[in-house]
Amino acid sequence: MQILSVQDLCKSYETFALKNVSFTLDKGFIMGFIGSNGAGKTTTLKSILNLVNKDSGVVHVLGKDFTQNEIALKQQLGFMFGGIDSYLKSRVGKITDVVRRFYKNWDDDIYATYMRRFAIDENKKVEQLSNGMRVKFSLTLALSHQARLLILDEPTSGLDPVARDDLLELFQELIEDGERSILFSTHITSDLEKCADYITYIQNGRIIESRAKDDLLAAYSVVKGTREQLSKLGSSLIAYKENAFGFTGLVSNTGLNANDGLTIETPSIEQIMIYHEKRRAENEKSAV
Amino acid sequence: MKKGGLKMKNLLYKEFRLVIHPLFYAVLLFGALLLIPEWVYFLALMYFFFIALPNIFSVGKAQNDIGFSVMLPVRRKDIVKARMLAIIILEILQIIVAAVFALVNLAIYPKGNFLMDTNATFIGCVFIMYAIFNVIFFPMFYKTAFKIGFPVIAATTAAIVFATAVELSVLFVPALRILDGTENLAAQLPVLLGGIIIFVLLNIAAYKSSVKSFQSIDL
Repeated sequence: MQILSVQDLCKSYETFALKNVSFTLDKGFIMGFIGSNGAGKTTTLKSILNLVNKDSGVVHVLGKDFTQNEIALKQQLGFMFGGIDSYLKSRVGKITDVVRRFYKNWDDDIYATYMRRFAIDENKKVEQLSNGMRVKFSLTLALSHQARLLILDEPTSGLDPVARDDLLELFQELIEDGERSILFSTHITSDLEKCADYITYIQNGRIIESRAKDDLLAAYSVVKGTREQLSKLGSSLIAYKENAFGFTGLVSNTGLNANDGLTIETPSIEQIMIYHEKRRAENEKSAV
Repeated sequence: MKKGGLKMKNLLYKEFRLVIHPLFYAVLLFGALLLIPEWVYFLALMYFFFIALPNIFSVGKAQNDIGFSVMLPVRRKDIVKARMLAIIILEILQIIVAAVFALVNLAIYPKGNFLMDTNATFIGCVFIMYAIFNVIFFPMFYKTAFKIGFPVIAATTAAIVFATAVELSVLFVPALRILDGTENLAAQLPVLLGGIIIFVLLNIAAYKSSVKSFQSIDL
């Protein structure tokens, strides 16, 4: 069952536009949303949630139109932009006391369990929590009202490697029962390698990939070869880098000819992203 | 409807628990300034928007209240409504406190004030003054939901102009002298009633216009 479906989302600003952003996320999976800084990740997430007024496009959450059922669907949604950055001087317990009233499915037992597990002290002020703790506190609030879909904008940025790994493991645990899904944006590609089932890649306001992680990795190859081979390959490479021995480049597997005598390797997500961004930079340069 | 009421109650709880520090209730005591002999009594009621209102909105901004509120399962118009209601509640409380001191004033200064007395006309005009403030401040503020300075200056100026006009016309227009003093209650009560009606109507207009502005901004 589709827990989130985004169709043809468009939003124009003077210098930037989201163009027909579409993707879907099924129940019980984690989707990583990647793109370089300024590619439109936050704008997309905010448009999904009507924090940004989209020019056109339809968003369905749990099968219902989000704009028309905003209040009811928000009951089943947890979202977070960065960590909590509101009411930093207020005590954690006070924030909870305000938030819990709004949710009909609020469960104090779940709340107490996660607060204990994350060792978050209700008497601390929000500003006294570390970045990782703030993210966990936000998650605790979302889990306590039994959110089915978590939309998290860069939850791992600013976390140390241990806290990040810890959080990613938690993500996997949260979707285990198959009832919940997580959509999170990041520009740290190793996050995705660790826990994402699906990857949606946005570049300059356009979705250029949205599919299962394994399918994505299987769709590309990193090729290495000599300068002579490079000139033969020509434009079938997405992008390449030259080095002392020849070149390394990324190629879509549909454009790959096995008899070229090239060294072929499975790419990492980071390589896919870097070469796509390199191609874009080159296109922009040649356009100027 | 019942659900909507509950949501509004929760949002008001948020306003009074997180945004409006209890210290601001102390501002209501500015009503006691009505005990000053021979004074411009409208000033006593202006401290609300000189001090309390800009500070409440600054707190909201510094604490990123809007970022917090939009995470909750409420609509944008509910966020506007809750904040406006909270301010309107404070304004009404301010007027009630002032009305008590207004009665004391009338009792202890039987000779009356050179300018407007603290009578029914005065209270009616205070309702109108707050209504004018609100109808300018809220729609301007919700155009950005961020900039406070200019909306406060514009709304305060309009309220001061109104209060000055009332004081001067009651002082210099002979036909309006009946609105001063306490002898002509029959002429003054319609001003009080009219003031309350204007307060309600202008607040509704301010709400509608504010919601429209707030809906259209990208957060």
